[in-house]
This record gives sequence, C-alpha cells and structure tokens, in this order.
Amino acid sequence: MVTAYVLIKANTSEVDRVKSAIKGFDGIERADVVAGDVDFIATLSVDSPATVRDVVATGIGSIDGIEDTQTYIAMT
Amino acid sequence: MQSVIIGVGRVGLRTARVLREEGHDVTVIEADPAIAERGREAGFDVIEGDGSRESVLESAGVDDADAVGALTGDLNVNFAACLIGKHHGCRTVMRIDEDYREGIYQQYADEVDEVVYPERLGAIGAKNALLGGSLTAIADVAQNLQILRITITEESPIRGYTLSEVALPSESRILAFGKDEEPMGIPLPDNSIEAGDSLAVLADFSELAAVRQLLVGEKPATAVATGGG
Repeated sequence: MVTAYVLIKANTSEVDRVKSAIKGFDGIERADVVAGDVDFIATLSVDSPATVRDVVATGIGSIDGIEDTQTYIAMT
Repeated sequence: MQSVIIGVGRVGLRTARVLREEGHDVTVIEADPAIAERGREAGFDVIEGDGSRESVLESAGVDDADAVGALTGDLNVNFAACLIGKHHGCRTVMRIDEDYREGIYQQYADEVDEVVYPERLGAIGAKNALLGGSLTAIADVAQNLQILRITITEESPIRGYTLSEVALPSESRILAFGKDEEPMGIPLPDNSIEAGDSLAVLADFSELAAVRQLLVGEKPATAVATGGG
C-alpha cells in the first residue's frame, strides 16, 4: 500500500461541496479543511504510486474550484 | 487598550499608527530586520521575531494585551498567532489574502474573532474617493447592509428639520448624530439638522439610492471606471 498526503489549494468558498467531492474518490481516507496557505489536506491510501497520481491528477484536480495540489508520498 | 500587532508591513504599520493616534498602546512583532527597523523609525516598540511563536508573543506582552492583530502576509503565521492570542484571552483579528477565504475562516476558525481582507477595505475607500461628496460608506456589516456617514450640506432636503421629522425608507435606520465639528452621539428625536452636522445610517443596499437622495439631495453620482476592471 502507498500512503500519500495531498495539500490542496482551492479558490472557492464552497468548502463543504469541495470536501465531499474529495472524499468521494476511492482511496481517500480523510480530508480536512485547514487554516493557512492551503485549504484542504487529504490523506489517501492506495495500491500503487500510479494510483496516487490518478486520484490526484484526474480526480481531485478535476473538481471545480481546485487551483493547485501538492502530493507527498509517505516513506515510512 | 493594549494591542499586539504581528507584521509591520503595509497593513500592520498603518493599523498600528491608527491605534496610536487614538491613544491606544501598541507593540509590534516583525520577523524581517529591515522592516522591523522601519517600524522603530515610526516610533513603535518592535519585537524582532516570529509572531507564530508563543515566547515571542509573550515578550510582546500578549498576557496583558486585549487584542492581537495578525496582519502579516503569511496565513500560517497569522493563524498560529491567533491561536496563541486566543489562548491568552485576547480578541483576535486575522488578515487573509484572498476573498474566498473570508467566509471559511468566519465559519470554521473559532479562535479568530474577526477576519480582515485589506483589498476589500481598500476597495470601499477607493469607491468613496471616486464618488466623492458628502457621503462615505463606512462598512458593509452584512452582505446586504451598509453603514454610511453623511455630512449635511446646504442642499440637503432634510436640513432645517428635526430627526423625528425625517422619514427614512423602511429598510434603514439613523444610528448616530453629531452637530458640526462635534463627536457623534446617540440620535435624539428633537436634534435639529443643520449644514455641517453628520449622521450615521444603517441601510439595506436596495435603499441606498433613496437614502442618498433624501439626506444628500443629489442624484446618484456616476463613477467612471476605466480599463478592464
């Protein structure tokens, strides 16, 4: 299994809609609204690094109102 | 009142100045030595350090302070400073950098009492400057409510009447009244309205034009915007 943390910057105040859209993807374990210069942090747990890329790029990245994502894959 | 301001850049320095002009005590925290020096030149007590650290806030006197203004350009610093300020019993004000975050912090950040978005406040000021004249928008208190300050002129239709004789549109209220050159106070029914007096009015956006016409007498001014705004 691969665990990854995704820092998500949005440009919309509709946090509830975006949060439930993020949580709707397979592999997302949790998604929280955070204070600071990003708006959400999601953790995901999937089979392979390629799936991480799919969930982030084609999944989270396609949600309306998402501006940027940064992904960190856990090593331990 | 005793305040701690974090960040002595564009927004922080001006806020500190306004507080000092009104007789309040201000201590400023700034991480950048060059900017900190600018704060000292302006006559402020500047603590050099990271305003998101409790020890730095403590040396700036957060224990005795009434309010913390987290006014840096860094949201992480601002939010951490508000958390610490709230823990020390202060009222907390956080600067944000993009308008979509205003509602999010108001809804979710319990440690932040007030969110300020300098660009929006700047826009209110710029609108006042563009429209000019004797009417100033002070603040938008809700999405559809604005507080206005109006100075009565010779042309004002209500000049010569008393406050009790003024029939404002239903979605508006007179909040305060001040005679010429005197501070504003609670409006009294028999206050007479003369040129130079000022009024503060709370009005629904839909009534702004009617309020303006009744109190100022002019037709709404036409502001000319140029460029791709």
